[in-house]
Amino acid sequence: MDVFMQAWMYFINRREYMFETLADHFILVIWATIIVILIGVPVGLLISRTNRLKEIVIGTVGMFYTIPILALLGFLITIMGVGTYPALLALVLYGLLPVVRNTCVGIIQVPEMAKEAAIGMGANNLQLLFKVEIPLSFPVIFAGIRTAMVMNFSLATYAVFIGAGGMGRIIMQGIRTYNTGMLLAGIILVVVATVSLDRLVGLIDNRIQRRFSLVE
Amino acid sequence: MTRDISVELQNVDKIYDVAKVVDGVNLSINKGEVLVLIGPSGCGKTTTLKMINQLIPHTSGKILVNGEDVTKLDPVELRRSIGYVIQYIGLLPHLTIEENITFVLQLTKRPRKEQHEKALELVEKVGLPEEFLKRFPRELSGGQQQRVGVARALAGDPAILLMDEPFGAVDPLTREQLQNELLRLQEAIQKTIVFVTHDMQEAFKIGNRIGIMKEGKLVAMGSSMEIIKTEDEFVQNFIGRGALFDVLDNIPVTRVLKKDVPTVREGDFLNRNADLNGWENVFVLDNKGVCHGYVPLENLDSSGKITSDKLLSLSGSCPPDLSIKKAVEEMLYGGRTWIPVADSNDIFQGIVTFDSCANLLSEEGGK
Repeated sequence: MDVFMQAWMYFINRREYMFETLADHFILVIWATIIVILIGVPVGLLISRTNRLKEIVIGTVGMFYTIPILALLGFLITIMGVGTYPALLALVLYGLLPVVRNTCVGIIQVPEMAKEAAIGMGANNLQLLFKVEIPLSFPVIFAGIRTAMVMNFSLATYAVFIGAGGMGRIIMQGIRTYNTGMLLAGIILVVVATVSLDRLVGLIDNRIQRRFSLVE
Repeated sequence: MTRDISVELQNVDKIYDVAKVVDGVNLSINKGEVLVLIGPSGCGKTTTLKMINQLIPHTSGKILVNGEDVTKLDPVELRRSIGYVIQYIGLLPHLTIEENITFVLQLTKRPRKEQHEKALELVEKVGLPEEFLKRFPRELSGGQQQRVGVARALAGDPAILLMDEPFGAVDPLTREQLQNELLRLQEAIQKTIVFVTHDMQEAFKIGNRIGIMKEGKLVAMGSSMEIIKTEDEFVQNFIGRGALFDVLDNIPVTRVLKKDVPTVREGDFLNRNADLNGWENVFVLDNKGVCHGYVPLENLDSSGKITSDKLLSLSGSCPPDLSIKKAVEEMLYGGRTWIPVADSNDIFQGIVTFDSCANLLSEEGGK
């Protein structure tokens, strides 16, 4: 009970610092997500057209995904030094796989019938893409974005190792200074924030699924 | 002459790798005509249809739409000018019914107001309530979705409609209803329609002309009567033994109606030995033209007066739009060799005889 009391006290006393750290964390993840969408969706669209390119690209981004985060951060220090940018790059590399893969799969699974109907009525390539293919694969693409975002929110706690801010800082400080109250407060906050984020994005996801008629 | 031809295929081939899917097809489709392409699966009928709007480019030969070579036209513009009703409906699930119907108008960026007006007009034309415009395809039954599919194809006011097994995905009852609606609609809109199906009954019902395909070749072409009389063994096997009755089921009795029957008024006089061009009965009409019965000449007495006690009852007449098949059935069940025809106001039109039905097949050409 003592530990929780300490955590609560720490939270009350240092809440400004904690929310500031949480905000840094959020901003890092939001930027990573925006960059992932800007790169991942067009790449996914592009590779959905050709089978060979698809295998190469999915293989490459899949490889990034399997590198342990500490190894990747260590490697990035050697070429980019410390700070926010290498952390951002690491998150972008991790987030690419779900977005690229889901975009590609989403586009491929658009029913042939729908595409043929649109082409038969005289849709040109751009109209086919924006009026049929993207809307019909949007739920799948969005699910990929959701995965990337929530995963990055957890991974961003490691950014502290590379000198970027975020919730990892509170946890690390807590460990180093044997301040269990601080450690526990940081852990609880990051867990609650991650779960809430997932739920929130999940709600949007549900609405999108319903709008695009995949669920009754 | 060429002005009346809407679509023309000249010696058209389609070759995939080594397989010749469409082989030297020659076709000319007249304006306002419904041409049905039919054949076993893999015969190239759908490929032929899709070559007309260049969804599938042809390998060799020439395809003309309104006199212009399709390879010289922008394929996107070509497709926008031709209505297309796809197999298994193919409505876009993420769009409302209104958005689906006006899809072509969105592609050509017509004003919103015009789109909405067109949607209202078309939804009514295909017999659906206006509230449906706001719904999504999944909320509609198969038959209702199919009607939307037809409305969608009509949105751009195309002169030509391509229909690829449009009623294949609905139950038989709904299919018959949709066929009737299409026929009724076609009477009003007079489009040139190319209709692909695998259902022979549907072909006889819908088509002004029918083309039968086999292994990429067009093996028979003509009206349903001409198809029936084709002696080709494949065609005979394909259309089946019951085909004659299917054809007769779609020809109204007016085609074999005898209008020159002798008619008299009650109280008229007639010589029992009169020569009535071989007729042995006279039909007794009132002032309005309603028939009250008939009198065999031999029943007349020497005065020759037509009196009501000599009248024999007609025992039922049939409407002019009754099919020949139904009329023959009527005769067979009733043990009669003829039946009178009267319109919806009971006005006498003439009679249909068993002989005239029997002679239909041996007639020159048919229609």
